[in-house]
Amino acid sequence: MGVLIQHAYAHHVLGRPSYSLGEDSNTPPSMQVETQIGKFYVTYMAFPAFPQPNEAGRVNLYASRIENGEPFQGEVTFKVRDDSWFSSAEETLGVQPVDDSVFRQGFIFKEAGNFIITAEFEADGEPYIIDFPLQIGETQSVMPIAVTVVVLIVVLLLVSVLQRKRLLREKVRKARSESAG
Amino acid sequence: MTHPGLPEFWVMAIAILATIFVLHAMWSRKLRAFRFQGMALNSVLAKSVLTRPWLLLIFKLVILGVFLLVIVAGLLGTPIPERNAATVLTWNLWWAGLILAVFLFGSAWCGMCPWDTLATWLVKMRTWGKNRAAISLNMKVPAKWRNIWAATFMFIGLTWLELGVGVTTSPYMTALLSLLMIVLATITLALYEGKAFCHYICPVGRTIGFYSQLTPLKLRPVDGDVCASCKTHECFHGSDKIEACPTHLMIGNLQQSTYCTSCGNCTQSCPHENISWRLQSVSHEAIQDARPHWDEAWFMLVLLSLTSFHGLTMLPGWEAQMGQLAQVINDSGQLLWSFSIGLVVSMIAPILVYMLCIWVWQRITQSKQSFRQLFSGMAFLAIPLAFSYHLAHNLNHLLREGSDLSELLSNPLGQGALPLSSAELHARHMSMWLSQDVLFAIQAGLMVFGMWIAVKVIRHRAFALMPELQQTPSKLWPVLVFVLLTTALNTWLLAQPMVMRM
Repeated sequence: MGVLIQHAYAHHVLGRPSYSLGEDSNTPPSMQVETQIGKFYVTYMAFPAFPQPNEAGRVNLYASRIENGEPFQGEVTFKVRDDSWFSSAEETLGVQPVDDSVFRQGFIFKEAGNFIITAEFEADGEPYIIDFPLQIGETQSVMPIAVTVVVLIVVLLLVSVLQRKRLLREKVRKARSESAG
Repeated sequence: MTHPGLPEFWVMAIAILATIFVLHAMWSRKLRAFRFQGMALNSVLAKSVLTRPWLLLIFKLVILGVFLLVIVAGLLGTPIPERNAATVLTWNLWWAGLILAVFLFGSAWCGMCPWDTLATWLVKMRTWGKNRAAISLNMKVPAKWRNIWAATFMFIGLTWLELGVGVTTSPYMTALLSLLMIVLATITLALYEGKAFCHYICPVGRTIGFYSQLTPLKLRPVDGDVCASCKTHECFHGSDKIEACPTHLMIGNLQQSTYCTSCGNCTQSCPHENISWRLQSVSHEAIQDARPHWDEAWFMLVLLSLTSFHGLTMLPGWEAQMGQLAQVINDSGQLLWSFSIGLVVSMIAPILVYMLCIWVWQRITQSKQSFRQLFSGMAFLAIPLAFSYHLAHNLNHLLREGSDLSELLSNPLGQGALPLSSAELHARHMSMWLSQDVLFAIQAGLMVFGMWIAVKVIRHRAFALMPELQQTPSKLWPVLVFVLLTTALNTWLLAQPMVMRM
């Protein structure tokens, strides 16, 4: 998760997701990220916390000014892109006006995966671009284990080769000193 | 949700006892050098366990199994931290309980550490004993790296990851960190002789090492005369079947356990079966036996300041303070820059105060010792202060945030589990393993214990550095002021409500 900076006055945002369950209401478990960016506190909530492919979901965004708690009243553009190193294709989900201090954006994803939802708005002449994570379905990854195994194999192979070269050098040196002696 | 802080009654009790300790230290010229030498575990059963690798191997296998579960759960399980075995086992149980385990069993954890177990199996291709075909270059660690600066920076980095980046609330990042430690331990073992990673780099091992200076249980000779007459020193050099001590310790004349990794090589290689676990005086190493070193002094002081920093970040007002700082420096999002500044300031400030106290002390005593000698020599006072607060703070996590382990182990990946509801959070908060009053009493007792040992450290070490001070103990006041300030800060932190971790 991260924030793209478009000019010198924009900000980089990283937030930590947390999960909650309101047992007294009918809402499903939600994933929530709170961040602070420039002059705003921004809260992002995804319902449900772990949407499945072809399941309707929704993100809610709240933005309020840090100095006085006044809600942001403009429009927020929601975009989505695949959260992978080699993917740059971005799709606009929609442009949402404020509704009772909340910006609501619905979504349905056809495939499982890790996505980045980008919320963009402009306030006081400055662009604010905030990225939030969204996981659709089960996205288990054994890639870190594979990378670790590869790194360990490469290291042990290199060390093994160096070790053999060293032993060989020692044998040659020993043989030379014996023949010289 | 927050945990309630230490009640005023206990704060007052700590304050009164701390004042008495300081006044006594400034008044009394007598130095009690009481040393308790307890019985060594020398029964047939103890010998058969210590001289053979089976018991340790069983522990290693169990811990390794749990460690692999942590990695799998972290990578494949739910991202909800309180429902995933990776975060609960690592941070709620192990990280919080480790300090308690050090006090009870010394450096025993290092002997079964899964990072080293996996690295050893990969590099040496066997579980114990010597293997001359091991894949290791066995290089000597360069002289300039034979210190624990790397461990100090690793410890700072770990704190940054834990409290700033939030590894503790991310099962995935917890698993990545576990994998990273395996890679580091394996690379170091494949390159250097002995256990250079445990000795110079591992922040957990060094923390355990310094805290184990306080613990009563140590590996020591059963009969000192046997070691004195020994010419072969298998404990140091190893034997035909057993590796040498991986941290180059000679048990016969060992004065401090800082670098003992409880690997069992010495107990298995000693032909006289003369090495065993022995009960000794609590804190004797910190008080007078351990030798001062510049790099170790810095580690101890960083340990002290970062333990207090842990408490600081769990105060309800911490986030607001970071938010204000973020606005000043134009930071945003997770506020990592603000957090980093907070960490550096909180880490440096107590060390600067310590330096000031040592400088004043040097001036008023007109000591011939250099500032560096005094700085290193007195830094041992940081160990009991850090340990007592660390344990008191961790007991909060351990007793108040303990999870239902049976539920967790029946579904370690948390598949299909829902986040904790506020009712469940409240129930967890209220159901403690011990009553709250007992917890408060233990926390207060720990603070008094830390202060008491720190004062003993000051008196013994100051009189060893400057014997003439024994006639004018009141000149100890600058160092005593530091201990008093630290105890006051840590007690104040304990008295504040503390934010729950998960």
